[in-house]
Amino acid sequence: MGITAEPGVILEHLFRHQAGRMTAHLTRLLGPAWLNVAEEAVQEAMLRALQTWPHQGVPENPAGWLFRVAHNSAIDTVRRSKIFGDKTDAMVAELSRSATAAPHDPELEEQLRDDELRMIFMCCHPRIGHESSVALSLKTVGGFNVREIARAFLADDATIAQRLVRAKRLIRDQGLTLEMPHGDELHQRLDAVSEVIYFMFNEGYAALEGESLIRQDLCMEALRLGRLIASSSIATPSIHALVALMAVQAARFPARTDDAGDIILLDSQDRSRWDQKLIALGFHHFDRSMSGDEVSEYHVQAAIAATHARAAGPGSRDWPAILDLYDQLIAIKDSPVIALNRAVAVSKVHGPAEALAAIESLDANHSLRHYHLLLAVRGQFLLELGRGSAAADCYRAALECRCSEPERRFLQRKLKECEGDKAYD
Amino acid sequence: MSQFMLLLYDDPSGWEKLSPEEMQKALEKYMAWRKKAVDSHRLTQDAGKVIRVQGGKPRVSDGPYSETKEILGGYYTIEAANYDEAVQKALTHPHVEYGLAVEVRQVYGT
Repeated sequence: MGITAEPGVILEHLFRHQAGRMTAHLTRLLGPAWLNVAEEAVQEAMLRALQTWPHQGVPENPAGWLFRVAHNSAIDTVRRSKIFGDKTDAMVAELSRSATAAPHDPELEEQLRDDELRMIFMCCHPRIGHESSVALSLKTVGGFNVREIARAFLADDATIAQRLVRAKRLIRDQGLTLEMPHGDELHQRLDAVSEVIYFMFNEGYAALEGESLIRQDLCMEALRLGRLIASSSIATPSIHALVALMAVQAARFPARTDDAGDIILLDSQDRSRWDQKLIALGFHHFDRSMSGDEVSEYHVQAAIAATHARAAGPGSRDWPAILDLYDQLIAIKDSPVIALNRAVAVSKVHGPAEALAAIESLDANHSLRHYHLLLAVRGQFLLELGRGSAAADCYRAALECRCSEPERRFLQRKLKECEGDKAYD
Repeated sequence: MSQFMLLLYDDPSGWEKLSPEEMQKALEKYMAWRKKAVDSHRLTQDAGKVIRVQGGKPRVSDGPYSETKEILGGYYTIEAANYDEAVQKALTHPHVEYGLAVEVRQVYGT
């Protein structure tokens, strides 16, 4: 691997992506009980790069360089710490063999993808709780660190750190392996993995500003993991639907906020700003999800996303079809967010009065009284009914809730709109 | 234009907290800054050796020279009209952004 004299351009997220792949790979060689050793070796490699590349230039194959240095660091640790006892030499030999793999070998590429898959499947083992699965997946395969994960989930560092410690201890104590499950177990695990990936995506998608750079990374990471599974031999129609859903939603990122960072609602979005490659990817996977009889939650969500995406313009959105899909979705999975989104579709098809009735049960739900989206949607329906001051009350209440800065500005704009409509009430 | 040395002190614990993404961002900043310097050198990771003369006899011991945890990590040569300008430039070095120390010294005769 040669070194160029002139510093080259490093691919975006190179370190983060390579950190994930190398951690997965080294963990497979060392065994999941030694996940910590793998992580430290990877961290060491990047530290070395940080210290030397500014002076020596970026190597011709940066990923290969990191790969080799991480392996050497692991070898040092294995030798020094003697954690493998009399199997030390064998482990060193295996690590050395792996370290000298040809950098652009397609077989190596294949192996690394496989390692990542195994890693995320292990992270989603049923004995590791959902929250820990999310954190562990992001830490190991995602290449995020504790602080980044904490920020993304609005938790504190200590909580996330604890979750990771417990998860790794559990892996060690219970002897969890990187073997892929089979049959029913595989099916269940795939469900768990899908849930974790979808959760990551939604958390990332919900962000609009501030930490949104992290959270947009979260979205793209979720999409990447989904695609990894979708392109493997264990892909199912449901996974394709999940990828379709994420791709189409992610495609809208560039259009969701304007230059001032303010929210633009779906109907007002400039469709030319949607990422066409992602839309195409979404439709590609949507088609692949149609094989077989399975209709999962992801299928319906993907269909909704695709229907939105197909609209030629704001006026031509097929709301009756969308409402129909929401009816299907709510039968599979009832949640406040889904009910709210369905209510918006109801308002477009049957008008705001019926939509208000549709969210009555949510209004009665005590635990949702600080949910700003519910209040904002209610305000919107009231505004459409000409009930300006009732609408204003909703927006004022919404402003008291926790929300991001762009959301706050949006709510304030709506409040002004209500106050302008005072004549009606 | 005079030449100034920027001596960069390392404190390994400062880097440990960085995530892969953050390390990459740091790397990009270092590389960008490198372009503005006349040259730059990285010293090896070890503490090195120190020669002191005691009782008229040179004694070699393990480094570093100072008692602090900080080890000289590398040095840059930059051009500046005077100390003020050199310091102003040094303040923009990412090393400072990451909470690490930089010593600025003028090269004699430049």
